[in-house]
Amino acid sequence: MIEILSASALATVQDLGRPGALRWGVGTSGAMDPLAVAGGNLLLGNDEGAAAVEVPVFPFQVRFTADCAFAVTGADCSARLDDLPLLPWWTHEAKAGQVLQLGVPRQDGAWRASRAYLCLAGGIDVPQVLGSRSTQLRGAFGGLAGRALRQGDMLRAVAPGAGRRMTDFGLVPPALALPLEADGLPAMRVLPAAEYDRYTEASKAAFWSEPWKITAQSDRYGYRLAGTALEPVAAIEMRSHGIVPGVIQVPPGGQPIVQMCDAQPSGGYPKIGTVIEADRWRLGQAPIGSRIRFVQTSWDEAIAALEQTQRWLDEARRLVDLYRGQGARS
Amino acid sequence: MKIDDVQQLSAWLAATDIDLLELRGPGEHLCLRRDGARVEIVPGDALEDGPEQTAVATAASLGVFLHGHPLRGETLASPGTPARAGQVLGLLQIGALLLPVTAPAQGIVQAMLVAQGVTVGYGTPLVELRLL
Repeated sequence: MIEILSASALATVQDLGRPGALRWGVGTSGAMDPLAVAGGNLLLGNDEGAAAVEVPVFPFQVRFTADCAFAVTGADCSARLDDLPLLPWWTHEAKAGQVLQLGVPRQDGAWRASRAYLCLAGGIDVPQVLGSRSTQLRGAFGGLAGRALRQGDMLRAVAPGAGRRMTDFGLVPPALALPLEADGLPAMRVLPAAEYDRYTEASKAAFWSEPWKITAQSDRYGYRLAGTALEPVAAIEMRSHGIVPGVIQVPPGGQPIVQMCDAQPSGGYPKIGTVIEADRWRLGQAPIGSRIRFVQTSWDEAIAALEQTQRWLDEARRLVDLYRGQGARS
Repeated sequence: MKIDDVQQLSAWLAATDIDLLELRGPGEHLCLRRDGARVEIVPGDALEDGPEQTAVATAASLGVFLHGHPLRGETLASPGTPARAGQVLGLLQIGALLLPVTAPAQGIVQAMLVAQGVTVGYGTPLVELRLL
């Protein structure tokens, strides 16, 4: 259905991951921006959790080998279908032979983001492993043969021609509908974690009030941040213990690491906080070199934030379904 | 449409403060104008687009008219630039949903008829094109 034309080898097949697999010591994987995957799937009438291609390196090119409806969400990467410029967060119809090109994400727009998602009608057809189609790079399973996509790889859509889907409409990206900033920088809400109180008052204050730069040593496994070094009151030594994506660890140098979707399921560094699940997509989209802020939150606010995200998705689905229903009648 | 329907619609219209009711269907076009308590049928040709050299993109739905994509600073169309038939000239936002406002024919964009961010009703003329 699509053939990968690009040589860059960091694009992977991802869905919403394997959140329950940590109990077996298997990392969650899944899209760094699950809202972009859900949004693209909504536009196509797919299940919200259908698999998509996550593209972190540009330009990225695929050729459609059959007619297929698709949607591109996530970062606005000035997508083109042959010579035709496409709008971001939009659904389109491709004819066999057409080439889709995703360019470097635009940095002049209303949202600086770093990952684009290519969704196909019905979702990307790769086998489910442990309940998910996400590529598990560490374990080398899931996705396409457990690895990143290569030039020449072919991926099929689950239902390319299932009914004639309505295309050529879009969604307002959730980054605009659910904005979160602190002093003009993208912000993520954070719950203080187990070792939070073992840091100096100055370090705790800096954690919430200073910007954190996303260094080049940042990927699907974790983001290494640079900023004011965080210092414990006394040296902290810990045994390895279970961790989840979003956990912010502080290694001895004092420069924090945020564990991301491909994080291993355990670690031994002290934890100063956890980026809440509802805001992980914001971090997943923050480009290398950009600066972010952490905002302290509570358990109740974290739950409310998840509910707010779900309400946005539910409302988007309702409007898309209404629009499709109109199209089907006319 | 039967004459009874037209009388019924006229009676309903007379009881509102709506000035113009326009119904379009396959092969049908009815336009009623309310003038005080009086309702009259507007002849079909009185509402047609002006001279034939222009075409107008209209709102296919109620929504907020946007001149550009909310992620982008630039507008989709500006007066004096050419447009293909079907090219997206603006957007209609309905909550989270974005619908395209497309050029009905190939031409040169003449004027944006509604300002950015204004809520428009079904059928509102939005963009005028000079046909080539």
